[in-house]
Formats: sequence, structure tokens, C-alpha cells
Amino acid sequence: MSLSTEFLGFSLQSPVMVASGPASHDVNQIRLAQEQRAGAVVLKTACSDKYAHMRYWPRPRYKLLDWDKQIAGRSKTFSLYSYEQGYSGRLEDYWEFIRASREHARIPIFGSIFADEARDWADLARRAEESGAEAVELDISSPHRPRSLEFETTFVAAIRAVVAAVHVPVLVKLAPSADLAHQCTVAEECGASALTLCNRIRGLDVDVEEQRPILHGYFAGIGGPWAKYSVMRHVAEAAQAVRIPISATGGVMSGEDVIKYILLGATTVQILSVIMVNGWDSIGRINREIEVYMERKGLATLAVIRGRALSRLIRPEEIIRYSGEGADGPRNVWNEE
Amino acid sequence: MARAMSGTKSKYAGLYPHPPAFAAEHAPVAEVVEGKCIACDRCPPLCFFEALFMEDRRGHPYGRVAVVVQRNCTGCGLCFEACPADAFLWVADHGQRPYGAAQTSDRKEKRDHESY
Repeated sequence: MSLSTEFLGFSLQSPVMVASGPASHDVNQIRLAQEQRAGAVVLKTACSDKYAHMRYWPRPRYKLLDWDKQIAGRSKTFSLYSYEQGYSGRLEDYWEFIRASREHARIPIFGSIFADEARDWADLARRAEESGAEAVELDISSPHRPRSLEFETTFVAAIRAVVAAVHVPVLVKLAPSADLAHQCTVAEECGASALTLCNRIRGLDVDVEEQRPILHGYFAGIGGPWAKYSVMRHVAEAAQAVRIPISATGGVMSGEDVIKYILLGATTVQILSVIMVNGWDSIGRINREIEVYMERKGLATLAVIRGRALSRLIRPEEIIRYSGEGADGPRNVWNEE
Repeated sequence: MARAMSGTKSKYAGLYPHPPAFAAEHAPVAEVVEGKCIACDRCPPLCFFEALFMEDRRGHPYGRVAVVVQRNCTGCGLCFEACPADAFLWVADHGQRPYGAAQTSDRKEKRDHESY
């Protein structure tokens, strides 16, 4: 029995990866991820110089809404509301960050980038590759991206440009939207190697005492355990629409959540907020929970169950249905008292 | 301003959801009110900036306290969320001006006299 997972030409020791964010902004965190048997790490997203302001963050910028406040790794419910944005250093620092991460890592290190013009995307991706990134994730769906940037008008050209510019695999990270399955298909047609589904969504919370939006006073990224049910739907739809592998991310709290994503067709699963709230041990715990499941089900690898629940997703016309009426027929007769 | 400080009785459990008033001028960093700290160990794991550690403190009722390494603190707010004892407050790092603002007090005065 092995958690080993083939993904984009890498043989990962686990399907559980650290998602881009505050658990991958410091080279010393690579050690923590490795100790817990993470499969790979996606580094914090670096923004092009045009978005240098996104390297600066408001204070405070994180709030745990609806948190059950359980400690010692036992928290189950929360919404992580935040506005941290990009890697805080200059691009030169980011290239060095990639180099240092690679130097100390025994697991694959992926870069993550954000820009607007295709030329800038390609340039960042090339520099990330030159610095040693073993794959590049395009954070085109960041909840903090400028509103003027749209998939069709900006990001399709970006994906094409990056795919043409680098030799390493290119992951495209998408967020929930009505046309997400279409975006997945387009990303695949543009040459993306894999899809990361889904980014956090843009949210907003209001403080009723002060009668204004909380924290920095603007929209924020919002995610949490509840997000997984929406992401599972999107992963299922995407897995039906594309042939490239899917790295699922959203709301994972347990090994069971990872298995659900794999049953729906995902190859790897990225986690982050569970690490923030429940600690680095969460990665190791999730790995062990997956192993217990594999043991119980007699699975040699996770590949054998990939997509199994997806293959059992039926069409609406196949749903077995019964009458909703009582024995006396429609509920349309007014009973006088 | 007073409301922005931890320690004020309020409806907010955890982080008061607005920046302290001085955040428009100087960078907020967290500080532990040691007399309030109950050494519960909740906050260090929630800090992803190497800015929170437990330290032995002779004479403290719990013998240990949480300590903020302010040079590493990025004012994210998560330690306030973790604290069941309302022991955090914001203090100003006068060495840090907001992004886009002049970085020294000399230049600040200059800025104040300009019209933008």
C-alpha cells in the first residue's frame, strides 16, 4: 500500500500538497511540509512589478469567522477571511526563494505567479523555471485580482504565452464560476498541463456595530471547510470535461475529504487553511487517515479508485423518484376548521 | 481608538474587526499584555511569520508567557483570534510607514505640506 501518486511526471510521496499561501512563503516551511510527508509545495504567489502594491498587506488582514475555536488540531468549522495578496518580496527575492526551496527540498517545488499582460506572465514563468521551479501554477483566479481582468480577455492569452515560454508543467488555478467547466476546457486547449480547482472566492463581511466592511474595508478572499461541497461539484464537472489531471483544493479537513476528491477524479489535493488553523501536523494526520482507508478497502494505490464516484454520478433522468403527494392526492383542498 | 485596543469589553470575541486608528500612519504590530496571558499555547501555532513564541517568565502566575517578536510581526491578526484571554493589543511600529507614503519623519512633514 502506498500513497505514492503520479502527477505531471513526478512521483509524489503523497497526493496531499501544500497550496500557495502563508504556509509556503518561507523557505523554512519546506522542512515542516516534508516532515509531514507532503507530496509537493506550491510556493506563495509572486506578482509582476505592475502589481507591486499587492506585495504590501493591510494590518490586520485575517479573520476567522464562525470559528469553533477548538484547539490542538481539533477545529472543524471556520471561515478564513483574508486579504494578504502576493509574495512580500521583490521578484529577485522570489527567484532566490525558489532556488533556496529547491536546494533544501526532497519534494517537488512549484512556483506560483500573477500578472496581467501575456508578456509579463511569460516572463515570470520563464524566470521561475530558470530559478528551479519544477512546475508553474498560474493564479489567474485570485480573489484579489483586479476586477477588470477577465478569463477570455486576459487569461487565455496568458496561458498560451506561458505554455509557449516554459518546458515545465503549467497548472492553471481556477475559481468557482458559472462557466468554470468551459474555462477548464479552454485551459486544456491552450496547453495547460493540469488544473487547480478551486481558488477561494471573493467575499465580504460587515460589522454591524461600526456599520462598515470589516478589516481593510474591501472585499476579501473567503474559504473554509464548507467550500468543499461546491468544489467537489466543480471537480466532478471538470473531470468530465477534460483529460488533463486535476489538483483539487478547497475545504479539506481530513483524509476522507482527500479521498472524496480523488473519487471524483482529482489526482492531487492541495490544502492550506487546515494547516493554518489546525497546525502542520494536519498534513501527517491526513496522510495517515488516507492510509487507514486504503488499508480498510484493500487498496494498493489511490489510482485504482480515482474517478470511481464520478463514474457513478448519474443523470437527472436516471434519478429514482416517487410521488410527493399523500394518499388523498394534491394538497389543494382547504380544510374548514 | 480605545475600541480598537484589545482589553476593551466588546461584542467581538477575538480580533476586533477593524485596524487601530494609528494604522493610517504607522504599522500595527501585536504585543502581549503579560499580566493577561494564561500561557495556553494557542497563539504560537497560528503565527505563520515566526513572530510568536512561549518564553519562561519567572514570577508570572503561569511561569511562561507568549512573546511577540515584533520585528517579524506582520500584523495579520491571527494571534488575537487565538487568544481566549484578550491578552493582545496593537502597538505602533514607528519605523514603518504605509506603502506609498514617505518613509522618514522628515519626509512625512514634507508630505503633510504638499497638497496630495
